[in-house]
Amino acid sequence: MRRKTGLHLLLLALIVLGIGATSVGAQEKISIVHYFSDVLGKEAIGKIFTAFNETHPGYEAVDNSAGHEDFKTQILVTIAGDNPPDVFSYWAGARTQFVVDAGRLMSLADFWEENDLDAIIPEGVKAAAIYNDDIYLIPMNAHLTGFWYNTKVMADAGITKMPETWDEFKEACVTLKEAGVHPISLGSMNRWPAQYWFDYTVSYTAGAEYRQKLMAGEAKYTDPEVVTAMEAWKELTDLGCFAPDSNAYDWTEAADMVANGTAAMNLMGTWISGYLNGLGLEPGVDYDFFPFPVINPDVPRVTHGTVDGWVVPENAKNPEGAKALLLHFVSKESQELWAVGQGALAASTAVDPGIYSPVMAKAAEHLASVMFLGGYDLSTTPPMAEGGLDMFAMFMNDPSGYQEYLEIAQEVADDVFGG
Amino acid sequence: MTRSRHIWAFLFLLLPVTFYLVVVIYPLFSSFYFSFTDWNGFSQDYSFVGLDNYKKMQTDRLFRNAIENTVIWTVAAIVLPTAGGLVLALALHERGILSRLFKSLFYLPICLSLVVVGQVWIWIYQPDFGLINVVLRGVGLDNWTRAWLAKPDTALQAVIAAWTWQQTGLAMVIFLAGLTAVPRELTEASQIDGANYWQSVRHVIVPLLRPASIVVIALAVINSLKSFDILYMMTRGGPFHSSDNLAMMVYNESFQKYRMGYGSTVAVVLFMITLVVITIYFRQQRGLEQLYD
Repeated sequence: MRRKTGLHLLLLALIVLGIGATSVGAQEKISIVHYFSDVLGKEAIGKIFTAFNETHPGYEAVDNSAGHEDFKTQILVTIAGDNPPDVFSYWAGARTQFVVDAGRLMSLADFWEENDLDAIIPEGVKAAAIYNDDIYLIPMNAHLTGFWYNTKVMADAGITKMPETWDEFKEACVTLKEAGVHPISLGSMNRWPAQYWFDYTVSYTAGAEYRQKLMAGEAKYTDPEVVTAMEAWKELTDLGCFAPDSNAYDWTEAADMVANGTAAMNLMGTWISGYLNGLGLEPGVDYDFFPFPVINPDVPRVTHGTVDGWVVPENAKNPEGAKALLLHFVSKESQELWAVGQGALAASTAVDPGIYSPVMAKAAEHLASVMFLGGYDLSTTPPMAEGGLDMFAMFMNDPSGYQEYLEIAQEVADDVFGG
Repeated sequence: MTRSRHIWAFLFLLLPVTFYLVVVIYPLFSSFYFSFTDWNGFSQDYSFVGLDNYKKMQTDRLFRNAIENTVIWTVAAIVLPTAGGLVLALALHERGILSRLFKSLFYLPICLSLVVVGQVWIWIYQPDFGLINVVLRGVGLDNWTRAWLAKPDTALQAVIAAWTWQQTGLAMVIFLAGLTAVPRELTEASQIDGANYWQSVRHVIVPLLRPASIVVIALAVINSLKSFDILYMMTRGGPFHSSDNLAMMVYNESFQKYRMGYGSTVAVVLFMITLVVITIYFRQQRGLEQLYD
């Protein structure tokens, strides 16, 4: 009996000590879900989380990542099931607008003001954080799109000055074809890489204002403006500028074609820079960047791209921890780590410009000189984006049917926007 | 049964029944419910739209396309693995040690997950270094090479071929089990009466394989109606919906376009079709049981 009592006391003591130990070492967990699941992104974000955990002993950032497509489903399910993470990454634009309109995100206007983010986030990037006149997203980086080319292939074909106008661009395509390389690689297996062709041909023929109307359902896909844009795109397919079977390759395979010299250039976002560096190419030496050429000199230039950011769900369990993490994300150290690791342009102007490679510096300079607009699938509603992305893939399969594809896209638009 | 045994039986059933109610029955009724709404899957607010989603389906080009593809997929899923499995079973039935090796080899694909099967076939179909195009180029048929999964006229057929490759082994095993129940004296008697091998297969073996055939066909239909993973892996229903089936459309509408209400409507249609098929299957099974009783 005495032995039993002794055992009970020992157990009780262990439990009390255990609870004590747990409470002494207790850390508030901050659950994060993000889509930076590629090798470069995962490594860079991992370092940022490690630094946060080291400098914030009261918190533990719990990192969960998923591939882009899986993430879109996963985040929807967790939010709809009222079991959201404390912070999640999201694409600025129509997707964030959709979640804001559903009343599922927390306003971060106070956080923005308290930490004076106006001092480090430029106006153009801040625009991507504002929805319904409130701030819901903290930008992490900006990516712009343009042409990434193999310098040796261009030089071998005798192209030393990169094309600035549409005629020069078509001429360069013909020269490259004659030199025996595919002028342009496009990996539209997952459809979205083709969207930038539509973005630029519309924005550079009909103008940014018209494009915004089209994205909002205030203009029609069958309008002469869109037909003109598609015809500009078709001029290139008619010239045989694209490597065949674009829909059979993903964007990395298309980037590989540029890297190995079977294709000369690729219209892609700045994230391709990180990928090309990973293949061992030296920026400015093996590959370089030039912006989309002007089609109509009367239409102002823009750049299309993406702003990745962080949002906090309305019913996050640890909003204070989430905000501490957000502040860490926009710190100079994290922004520099991220820009270098991911191959992105930092959202913060506090970063040392010297961190950028010569090619990324060129892209940053271009970004500063033109208006920034989101890419197609981030500028229109998700159901419309699906219809549009289908249209681009159909076009790359058989460009001759473009007018029929535009009519199909307009049918989708009528359904989505109630035309 | 005593009262205490009833209580124990109830207690043991409580957990699985609760699980079944939560995981199967509740989502099923939720789908019916949401099919009458315009819920986007995110918002806490939604409106009832009556039969609007069902009316919309009648004019929806993508729904018509998904129905057509589901029919093509289901017919192919019945005919190809069943015929292939039967031929293999007849070829390998009672053929000695080597046949055991072949049986294992042909059955092996069914042990692989559909995601793995999908990835293997993506490599086989790869336009530059994929096995099919390399072989075609090797025998001088360069004109026949193509991006199999990227062309709308070949994508669905390419996925069906991968599916058939996996499912044939399952049909083969069921037919092999069925063949063991075919009395040898019947085939011998038919041959004594002058029937050649094919006549004996046609008039003796195949009719006696009816129970196995029903199982094979029912499994093929049910598996094909719910097939999603291999399509998601290989084409995601593309290019531009050319390989969409109803299950893929449910996913696209609900999670890509954020139209959970309409996605639920398509899910309800898929459920109804599956219900009809399962009912036919159970009727056939009952008929067989009565026959054998």
